[in-house]
Amino acid sequence: MLEVKDIHKSYSGNEILKGVSLKVEKGDIIVILGPSGSGKTTLLRCLNFLERAEKGSIDFDGIHTEFKSATGHQINEIRKRTGFVFQNYNLFANKTALQNVTEGLIVARKVPKKEAVDRAKQALDKVGLSDRYDYYPSQLSGGQQQRVGIARAIAVNPDVILFDEPTSALDPELVGEVLNVMKSLAEEGATMVVVTHEMGFAQDVASRVVFMDGGTIVEEGTPHEIFSRPRDPRTIQFLRRILREDYEYSI
Amino acid sequence: MRPFHPEFIFTALRQILPYLWVTIATMAGTVFFGSLAGILLARAKIRRGPVLRALSEIYIYVTRCIPSIVMLFIVYYGLPEFMLAFGIDINNFSKAFFVIVTFSILFAANMAEVFRAAYESIDPGQREAALSAGLSEWQAFYRIILPQCIVVALPNFTNALVNLMKEGSLSYTIGMLDVMGKGQLMIGINHGSYSLEVYLALSLIYWAMTLVIEHGFGTLEKHLSKGRKIVAAS
Repeated sequence: MLEVKDIHKSYSGNEILKGVSLKVEKGDIIVILGPSGSGKTTLLRCLNFLERAEKGSIDFDGIHTEFKSATGHQINEIRKRTGFVFQNYNLFANKTALQNVTEGLIVARKVPKKEAVDRAKQALDKVGLSDRYDYYPSQLSGGQQQRVGIARAIAVNPDVILFDEPTSALDPELVGEVLNVMKSLAEEGATMVVVTHEMGFAQDVASRVVFMDGGTIVEEGTPHEIFSRPRDPRTIQFLRRILREDYEYSI
Repeated sequence: MRPFHPEFIFTALRQILPYLWVTIATMAGTVFFGSLAGILLARAKIRRGPVLRALSEIYIYVTRCIPSIVMLFIVYYGLPEFMLAFGIDINNFSKAFFVIVTFSILFAANMAEVFRAAYESIDPGQREAALSAGLSEWQAFYRIILPQCIVVALPNFTNALVNLMKEGSLSYTIGMLDVMGKGQLMIGINHGSYSLEVYLALSLIYWAMTLVIEHGFGTLEKHLSKGRKIVAAS
């Protein structure tokens, strides 16, 4: 359904992505792991054209284009059919939770207001915020804000939802509520690409785990393949470091 | 020397107030054209190519260094000469025209900085979120970024407006008949007597205008700042 080939992206001569290819089928939960600076976030941002890749092509459910020559219309089409959840939530500060969700429906997709409000309420109910419709982001906790961010992404019935380290900015005790929402979305059959450091989530929920390092995909496979018998030394080293940290912190 | 006649303050007020609309109209004109130019300058400074940005920076730098009264005379004497070079005679234009041009030039430089600071205070992530929600660049700007910019810019805008009002009193030097001009005229007619009373009357008028401006924009700011820094509700 979504396939990107050979993405290259550099910032001022520094190559962040060195030819990454990724294929996402409907219903896939792809978790991208990797040390910081490995290009995970950049990859995700390229998929949504928040960064413009210099080279590579994207195939998205009938839309085929080179990243470099994508037209404004194609970019907008792709964005309308994807949801994006940001590390820092990026909620619209001047809009209520409900308006944050309806904005993309009413303004970008021309959904009639009444229907948009209904759909937005459904989305907010789904993430457990049925009592927070009229709250402004400044009145919500980090976890609640991120759940509004998720509601905003799912309300548009996207073909795929992209999560960019959705729990990294949260207080540890709020991580669970966001992960639970993501897990239930996965169980409902949503297609998701998730960049995260939550190893537990990767192990339990992912249908495929992709390990990135130095701007390339080093290894990919089922959670079992990656976590139980990783082959590449870089994967082994990364997992050893992360899992040992987990262990040390859980004393 | 003539004794102080407080009751003349009221006489002065009665005679000066009919000219208040001139002061307000030139201010309004200045705010309109100055803000418009300020938006363009801020825009050039924020994102256009290096050439436009440099031009914008030079403009802001130069104009901010020129005292209003100097600029006023440069425009008053210089602009007609300049336009004449293109065969356009503006010597008979109203004084208000030159006042509005002068203060628009200066106000634009101030506004460019106010708008730029306001724009940069908004987290760019909101723009990205709007784009990925399917909004166009323009929709993201006027629906999400602009309303928040306005709230941030309002206090500085109000300050600039009060300054504009005060500096605008210099317009009498080229002979414009606003409240200050009328006051000067009264003093002249009375051969310099009642000066103190007239200036006190003028202070009252400027004081009242400041009060209206600050109160008005304060209320507006409160009204527009929904979602900002509200005490966290549980």
